[in-house]
Amino acid sequence: MSDVQLPVIAILLTFVVCAALAAAFLRDILSAIIAFAGFSFGVSIVYILLRAPDVALTEAAVGAGVTTVLFLLTIVRTVRPGGDRLFERIKVVPALLATGLVAVLLTTMRSLPRVGDPNSPVATSEITRYYLENAYPQTEVENVVTAILAAYRGFDTLGEAAVVLAAGVAVLVVLRKEVYV
Amino acid sequence: MIDLLTTHYNYVVSVLLFGIGLYVVMGSDNLVKKVIGMNIFQVGIFLFFVTIGYVDGGVPPVVGHGQTTFVSPLPHVLILTAIVVGVSLTAVALALIIRIYNGYGTLDESVIKEVQVDD
Repeated sequence: MSDVQLPVIAILLTFVVCAALAAAFLRDILSAIIAFAGFSFGVSIVYILLRAPDVALTEAAVGAGVTTVLFLLTIVRTVRPGGDRLFERIKVVPALLATGLVAVLLTTMRSLPRVGDPNSPVATSEITRYYLENAYPQTEVENVVTAILAAYRGFDTLGEAAVVLAAGVAVLVVLRKEVYV
Repeated sequence: MIDLLTTHYNYVVSVLLFGIGLYVVMGSDNLVKKVIGMNIFQVGIFLFFVTIGYVDGGVPPVVGHGQTTFVSPLPHVLILTAIVVGVSLTAVALALIIRIYNGYGTLDESVIKEVQVDD
């Protein structure tokens, strides 16, 4: 990451972690959902800085948009627990397990290449090179992400569409009123 | 340890998101909060994948405009699929939660367990 961007991404990542913590510990569900929407939107801006505009658009529309609407529809149809406390009490056992997971994963961090390393396995991979060189001649689509999504990995996208269909059917089946069954 | 923050910052954040997500899934009594935790965990994985494709000075993978350094497009494609699958998963989970609420009248996991024991 160039030097100009480092402070920007530092501020954004701090915001992302704080929003995730707010979503985790706010007791009121509506507040947690709003914090989660802010979290998703912050992450989508991080994706833009990582030069992934397609992912950023999808995350902003689907992650921050559709998911938030789904959560709001859920609390409209269920309950929003009240209470005088602003934050939840921290539970010891899950907190210890989560801290343990973070600690173990942080020890593996040094084996990863640094962020933006041009010699990292992904950047130098044969697959990356193949797609970048051949996507336009073979598919005539300038955006390589679109070319891979719709052409090279078209069956993957078909499977994704099947998952969305299955999920839609499942939601309809689960929410069907008993009187119609 | 501090130098990791200047070189591996995105990986550190995605690991922190794993921790926060795991804590919410395990520690929260409210079922909707558990789904929020699952989503936070997922976003940690997405951030990890998008970061491994990033290259210093790279531009978005749109070829034919004179640039030579691109970020890797493959992680972006995988994550695009994963985001859509993730929202499908969230929709099914929330539908089940609405159904549980209709059956038990609460979203609190411990209360639901007590009711099940009483039955």
